[in-house]
Amino acid sequence: MSDELARALADLEEQKVEALVDERLAAGADPSSILASSQDGMRQVGERYEEGEYFVSDLMMSSAIFKKVVARLEPLLVGTTAVSRGSVVVGTVRGDVHDIGKDLVVSTLRASGYTVTDLGVNVPPDRFVEAIRETGAPVLALSGLLTISFDPMKETVEAVEAAGPRSQVKIMLGGGPVTEQVRAYAGADALGADPPSAVRLADEWTKVA
Amino acid sequence: MSASQQDGGVPNLYDERMIRIRKAINLEPVSQIPVIYMGTAFSARYTGRTMARYCNDPNVSFESNLETCERLGVDGLNLLASGLIAPILSAMWMSHIAVPGRELPDDSLWQVQEAEVMKAEEYDTLIEMGWQAYVASYLPRVVDMAEFGANIQFMQENTGRYLGILREKGVPYICMGATSTPFEPLCGARSMPEFFADCYRRPEKVKAAMDVMLPDMIGDGIGLAAMTHSIGAWVGGWRSASALVSPKIWNELVWPYLEAIVNAMWDKGLVSVLHLDQNWTRDLARFNELPAKSCLFNLDGFTDARKFKEILGDRFAMLGDVPPTLFAAGTPDDIHTYVHDLVRDVGPTGLLLCPGCDAPINTKPENMEAFVAAGREFGGGVH
Repeated sequence: MSDELARALADLEEQKVEALVDERLAAGADPSSILASSQDGMRQVGERYEEGEYFVSDLMMSSAIFKKVVARLEPLLVGTTAVSRGSVVVGTVRGDVHDIGKDLVVSTLRASGYTVTDLGVNVPPDRFVEAIRETGAPVLALSGLLTISFDPMKETVEAVEAAGPRSQVKIMLGGGPVTEQVRAYAGADALGADPPSAVRLADEWTKVA
Repeated sequence: MSASQQDGGVPNLYDERMIRIRKAINLEPVSQIPVIYMGTAFSARYTGRTMARYCNDPNVSFESNLETCERLGVDGLNLLASGLIAPILSAMWMSHIAVPGRELPDDSLWQVQEAEVMKAEEYDTLIEMGWQAYVASYLPRVVDMAEFGANIQFMQENTGRYLGILREKGVPYICMGATSTPFEPLCGARSMPEFFADCYRRPEKVKAAMDVMLPDMIGDGIGLAAMTHSIGAWVGGWRSASALVSPKIWNELVWPYLEAIVNAMWDKGLVSVLHLDQNWTRDLARFNELPAKSCLFNLDGFTDARKFKEILGDRFAMLGDVPPTLFAAGTPDDIHTYVHDLVRDVGPTGLLLCPGCDAPINTKPENMEAFVAAGREFGGGVH
């Protein structure tokens, strides 16, 4: 059930969110419950985006507010064991240094309870393979804003394939110029056209993985 | 009327093409839909030059673009820069541009290195100093000012010569100067995450800065169009697209400035080539508030071209909108089909065929050639 903090975050009321977090902490609330309320607010933001009520700027603002909440809670959450919904490796492929879309997906996945390994930008295929091996992540999200990212996306998918059973890792692509045609070219499993779609795909894939 | 027509002569190739471009913009019937080139990095690849040469020598850049137009046999150019591209982009994006042959390998694409260079408190500085003075104090943070100054001088000294060559070669251009709404340089200077947050946290401050910037940005468009004897100026919108910002932000921080620029340009008889990247479909109806034929909608495949035709097609022409992704990842058949459907649904009047945004560096040459061929095949209309 949505509470006042979740609603304030969903309504992008930054100051109210900060005040409510402080208020709850002062009242001795469990930081994990505050985080859960914030995650609920982020879920509502995603729903509003998918319903056409919110736009990219709203996603970015919600992400900025959520990051502030996490920064406030993080020292208090040390030692607590959060239940992760799954592990995802994310990065912008080799040759492309754009990070805005990728960062938005990372923060949305984290707000949805995923453990995210963010490899940054201009990431070579073997670094993705290494991270999958290290984390055991069943989901890989590749980002690119430029059309020159298409070949590195394909090379990364091929590197993952060469490194082990392809069926153990599901791969999504995202970024402005990435279409179904590009997905087919690269051999990825799906398009994560926007952050809520990326979360939905991760939900689907971590259930079956 | 062209010089050759005034002389009573037959219009030469340049004039014939330019007349057809003007007719298409004015929604008049044309014998052949104009096929327009828009490409930068692709020109270097297509003509066998490295990106390092293209980015570091303005003559190589111009020659690459001209040679590409001639080899393709297009009717004209959308936008042509007469100087080095990196300093120009730096000023438009207010960001450092990593350049091939310097920070990047010789044959790679330049990259905008977006970062939060302008701090939130600098809105006040900008408002106090005025836009031109603020830019002068800001640019050294993102660009080599010696190169920037040399580039401006080069453009001042060589634009006239380039215009003469284009006329001689029969390659008209729609515009050679660019401006944008204040939204874009502020977004580049602050970085997109910070600037979008500013639009929620301090919209009054953002608006006050934009109000200070607007007269200079109008002046840029009008001044550059006049200097280059163009039909108008390229008016860019990339981060201010309807798909990216909420209606409230768009209505308060995008539209009023776009409207002011178009109206000011139109008062001087200049067309605004609205280079609208990403998806603007949500707000298309708003453009009906602008004078008919004052704009040319330069779309990139994200905005719904059919909606454009339905909502605005009897008042404005479209320049576009073959998607960059199709040029890079599609096949000649894909391009052929796309152009056929576009002409059928949006043309034949009020349409100028053009790559959306900018043909990407990895455009397959056969796709670009298929684009021109399809333009010729369907240029009389599709029935």
